[in-house]
Amino acid sequence: MKLTIERSSLLKSLGHVHSVVERRNTIPILSNVLLDAADGRLSLTATDLDLAIVEATEAHGIEPGATTVPAHTLYDIVRKLPDGAEVSLSLDDNQRLTIEAGRSSFKLACLPRDDFPSMTDGDLPHNFALPAVELKRLIDKTRFAISTEETRYYLNGIYLHVAQGADGPVLRAVATDGHRLAQADTVVPEGAAEMPGVIVPRKTVGEIRKLIDEFEGDVEVALSDTKIRFGFGQAVVTSKLIDGTFPDYSRVIPKGNEKELSLDCRAFANAVDRVSTISTDKSRAVKLSLGDDSITLSVTSPENGTATEELAAAYQAEAMDIGFNSRYLLDILGQVEGDTVAARLASPDAPTVVTDEADQAALYVLMPMRV
Amino acid sequence: MDAPSPSRPTIRRLGRTTVDRIAAGEVVERPANALKELVENALDAGAAHIDVTLEAGGKRLLAVEDDGCGMDAEALALAVERHATSKIDDDHDLTDIRTLGFRGEALPSIGAVARLALTSRVPGSDCAFALTVEGGAVGAVKPAARAAGTRVEVRDLFFATPARLKFLRTDRAETQACVDGVKRLAMAHPGVAFTVRDGARLVFQAARRLETGEAALRARLAAVLGRQFTDNALDIVAERDGVRLGGLAGLPTYHRGNAQQQYLFVNGRPVKDRLLTGAVRAAYQDFLARDRHPVLALFLDLPAGEVDVNVHPAKAEVRFRDAGRVRGLIVSALRHALTAAGHRAADDTADRAVAAFARTPGAGSGAWTAAARPSAAQMGAAHAFQAPLPAAGQAPLPAAAGPGLGEAGAPTPYQPAHDLGGPSWPVGDPGADRGGEAAGAEGLGGAGAYGSLDPGLDAPSARAEAPGADDAALVRHPLGAARAQIHETYIVAQSGEGLVLVDQHAAHERLVYERMKRALAEGGVARQMLLLPEVVELDDGAGVAALVDRAAELAGFGLVVEPFGDGAVVVREVPALLGDTDVAGLVRTLADELVDLDEALALKDRLFHVCATMACHGSVRAGRRLTVAEMNALLREMEATPHSGQCNHGRPTYVSLDLDQIERLFSRR
Ligand SMILES: Nc1ncnc2c1ncn2[C@@H]1O[C@H](COP(=O)(O)OP(=O)(O)OP(=O)(O)O)[C@@H](O)[C@H]1O
Ligand SMILES: [Mg+2]
Repeated sequence: MKLTIERSSLLKSLGHVHSVVERRNTIPILSNVLLDAADGRLSLTATDLDLAIVEATEAHGIEPGATTVPAHTLYDIVRKLPDGAEVSLSLDDNQRLTIEAGRSSFKLACLPRDDFPSMTDGDLPHNFALPAVELKRLIDKTRFAISTEETRYYLNGIYLHVAQGADGPVLRAVATDGHRLAQADTVVPEGAAEMPGVIVPRKTVGEIRKLIDEFEGDVEVALSDTKIRFGFGQAVVTSKLIDGTFPDYSRVIPKGNEKELSLDCRAFANAVDRVSTISTDKSRAVKLSLGDDSITLSVTSPENGTATEELAAAYQAEAMDIGFNSRYLLDILGQVEGDTVAARLASPDAPTVVTDEADQAALYVLMPMRV
Repeated sequence: MDAPSPSRPTIRRLGRTTVDRIAAGEVVERPANALKELVENALDAGAAHIDVTLEAGGKRLLAVEDDGCGMDAEALALAVERHATSKIDDDHDLTDIRTLGFRGEALPSIGAVARLALTSRVPGSDCAFALTVEGGAVGAVKPAARAAGTRVEVRDLFFATPARLKFLRTDRAETQACVDGVKRLAMAHPGVAFTVRDGARLVFQAARRLETGEAALRARLAAVLGRQFTDNALDIVAERDGVRLGGLAGLPTYHRGNAQQQYLFVNGRPVKDRLLTGAVRAAYQDFLARDRHPVLALFLDLPAGEVDVNVHPAKAEVRFRDAGRVRGLIVSALRHALTAAGHRAADDTADRAVAAFARTPGAGSGAWTAAARPSAAQMGAAHAFQAPLPAAGQAPLPAAAGPGLGEAGAPTPYQPAHDLGGPSWPVGDPGADRGGEAAGAEGLGGAGAYGSLDPGLDAPSARAEAPGADDAALVRHPLGAARAQIHETYIVAQSGEGLVLVDQHAAHERLVYERMKRALAEGGVARQMLLLPEVVELDDGAGVAALVDRAAELAGFGLVVEPFGDGAVVVREVPALLGDTDVAGLVRTLADELVDLDEALALKDRLFHVCATMACHGSVRAGRRLTVAEMNALLREMEATPHSGQCNHGRPTYVSLDLDQIERLFSRR
C-alpha cells in the first residue's frame, strides 16, 4: 500500500472516525483504524463493534493495499504535522506503516487488515433520504432527555419511528429518562412509511450529530430491525440498534390538561436560572405559583434562604403551585426556539406539557417534583 | 430399621459412668472446651502464670500448669467428684457468681471421658498430691512432688466415648480452636502470663502485664490481636447505672470480612452474644459497609446480680437482666468514640512509603468547619455532580471506566463540553482549558450546552492544573487547592503543609450521605415524580412486605413505593438528588436490607442505613473527569462536613502527606 494525501483532508477524516475508538481497549485491533487504498481514494474505518464509521477521501499516487494502525497515535501525528503538508503513507513488508511529511518520518506497527472486524450491514430493507437539517432537529430536540441509566438500556437512545400525528403519519423521535420526555416530528420521507420503530443508541446519536454539522443535503438512512446506517456522502455510519422495547410513551403524554400558561421563554429561563442560584442543591425544586396572569418563581434553600421572582404571564385558570427540577426546566426551555413558550398543566402531581410556539412539531413532557 | 417393637420399653436407672459420660458430652464437646475449663480453673485459683501444652490438637494431650492456690489431699479427692466446688456454697444463690467456675462439673466430666491426672501442691505445704481418673474410674490420692500450684493433664480425650472422636476436626483445626480459647481468656486477664505450646513449639505467649487498668489491657490486646489493631483502635470508656464498659474498638477503616474478631467479656468471662453483634452493627453503620466488620474487644463489668451466667453448658452465653440498657450503653459508647475520632482513619498498610501517607491525627472536623465554610457557589458546584443529566453528551469520555461506563455510570450532570471541546489536554500547557473551567460551575445552567465536540482531543490519564489567581487562599484550606485529577479517580491537592490525595467516589458518597441525613432532618428529601413509574419485581414476598411496611419512612427519603400485584412494587417518586438512577437496583437492595436488618437495628439506625444505600447509588463514580472548580468545591464541602474522613464503607476518603514525610521519603532528612 502506498499513497500521498493532503494533511488537512486526512486530518478531517481521521477526526471523524477516531472518536469511535474507545480509548482503553482490551482488544488491540479495536484500537486501530483500518486504512484501505484503492481507486484513487483512501478509506478509513473505525469500529467499537457496535458502531462503525467509514470515511473515504481523495488521495493520489495510490498503490492499492490495506492495513490497520493505532487510531489515536495516527491522529496525533497527523494533527501535529504542519498545515498544508503532503503526507505520504507506505506499508513495508514487515507490516510497518511509514508516514512521511517534509522532514518528519514515523514508522508505526500495524496489525493485519484481515484481523479487523467488519461490520456487516446485512439486509437493510428500509431506505429513505432525510434532510440533514431535519435529522439535526430531531436529535437536538430530544437527545437531552435520553437516559444514562444503563439498567434501563431501552431508554439509552432515541426512539425513531413512524407515528400517527394530528394530521396523519409523521416520522417521530422520542427520548425519555423516566422523569421527562421529549418528542419531535418531521414528515415521513419516501420509503420510511413501513419502517419498524428503532432505538438509536446514544453514542451513535453523538457520532452522527458531529457529522451533520459539516454536511448539507440529504442523509441516506437505511435500516432493518437490528441495524441502521446513515450515509453522509463520503462518510457512512453503521450502528447496531438497541435491542429492546421502547415504552408506550404516548400513554404518559397527557391529552386533557386544561390550565394554559404562556410566557416569554427567555425571561422565564433567566428567572429560573436566577432563583435557583440560592440553592446549593441543583436537584431542589423551583416552585411556580400560578396566579392571574402572573407567575412567581421561588426556591427555598435550608442553607441559604429563599429567592423569589415574579414574571408576567398569560394564565387564566385557577391558581396553583407546582414544583419542577430547575435543571429539567432549563433543558426544555433551551430547546424552545420561539419567543413564547406554552405549557398545559393539570395539577401539581401530574405531568405538564410544554410546547414551542415556533416549532409545533416538538413537544416536551415534564413530571413535577413534590414541593 | 426394624418395625417398632410392640413390647413396652422398660425404664432403667443408668449407671454412674454412663450418666457422667452423657453429662460430659454437654460440657466437653471438643478439646478446646476441656482446655477452657482447665484454664478457667487456673485463673480461679489465682495463678500468675499459666502454661498450656497440647499434642495432636489436644486429643492426645492437654496439660495446664499453674502457680495458683493448689489443692491439698482432701480437696483433690473432692475436685473430681460431681457437684463439688469451692466456688459457691449453698448459702449463696446463683445470682452472685464472681468466679469463672461455679458448678463443680468440669473435672468430673473430663475425668469421665479421658485419662485425667492432677498433681497439686498448696503453697507453703511441703507435700504435693496426685490423683488420676480414667474413664470415670477414680484412683487413690498419692503423695507426689511438684512446685506450688497445680498441673492437670488430660490424655486421650474421648477414649471412653469413641463416637465423639469421629466428630472432631483435623488436629490443626482443633489446635486452632484451643489456642483461640486461651487467647480469649488471656485478653481478659492481662495480669496473668500465658504460654501455649503445640508439642514443643511455642504458639502463643503473653507476658504478665503489671501496669494497671487501660495500659495493661492495651498491651495485652496488642499481644493477642496484634499491634496493628491497638494502633488503630479507640479507647472505650463508659459507665451508666453501675454498668461499666471498657476496651478497645477498631477504627472503621480497620475492618474485616466477618465478625469473628468481635470479643465481648462480661465480668471477665468471654461470651458470645447476639446483642453485641446488633449493637456493633448499629454503632458502626455510618462508617462501614454491611459486609465489613470492625474488630473490637469490649469488657463489660456489672453487678453479679445483673447477669445470669448459668444459661449455657459451656458457660459461653449469659443473660442480662436489662439487655436493652446494656445494648444502649454499648451503642452510645461506640458512637461517641467514633464521632470524636472524626477524621482519624486507619493506616494499616505495610508499605512504608504509603504508611507515610497518614491522616493527620486528630484533625477533627470541628476545627475545619470553623476555618472554612464554603460559599454558596462552591457548594453549588459541588452539588452539581448530583444534578440530573442535562445532556447525553456523546463525548468519547476517556474511559477509565471502559466503554459506556464513563457516560452512564454516574448521574453525571454536566458533560463538561468545554473540557472536551478544547484542543487537547496538553501536559505541557496546563492553562489551556482554564477558560472552560470558570464556565464549569455556571455553564451547566445554560441550556443546550452540548458544544460541538472536537473529536480531536486527546486525554492523558492525568491532567495538571496551573495555579489560578485565588490560589494562595485556596492552599490555606485544610485540604488545600486542587492541582490535578489522576486516573479520573483521585484528586491531588496542595495544602499548606503538604499534599492531599482524595478518592473522589468515596468522598462524594460520604457527602451525599451527610446531605441526605441533613435533608431528612429538615423535613424530607426532595422527590421527583416519575413520568414512567417503575415496576420492580422482587423475588420474595418478604421484601415487598418490608418495603410496604416502611413506605412512610421511605417517602421521607424521597422514595415512594406501592405494592403492585404479586411480588412486585411500583416506584412512583424517587429522591431528586439521585438524578437518573438505577431505581430497580436501589429498591432491591433496600428490600434485602430491610428484611435483614429489621430486627437488628433500631428505627433511626435503619433509616440511616437507607441513606447510605442511596448515597452509594447516587455518587459520582471513579472514572469521571472533574473540572478544577468541581474538585475545589468537593474539597471545601468535605471540610465543612462532619465524618468526611471516611466513606460510609469505612474506607478513608483522603490521605495527606506533609512535607516532612515527603522529604523523608526522598531521604532529604
Ligand atoms: N487449677 C486448680 N487450682 C486449684 N484448685 C482447683 C484447680 N482446678 C480445680 N480446682 C478445684 O476443683 C474444684 C472443681 O473444679 P471444676 O472445674 O470441676 O468445678 P468448678 O470450677 O468449681 O465449676 P465449673 O464446673 O463451673 O468449672 C474447683 O471448685 C476448685 O476448688
Ligand atoms: Mg472449673
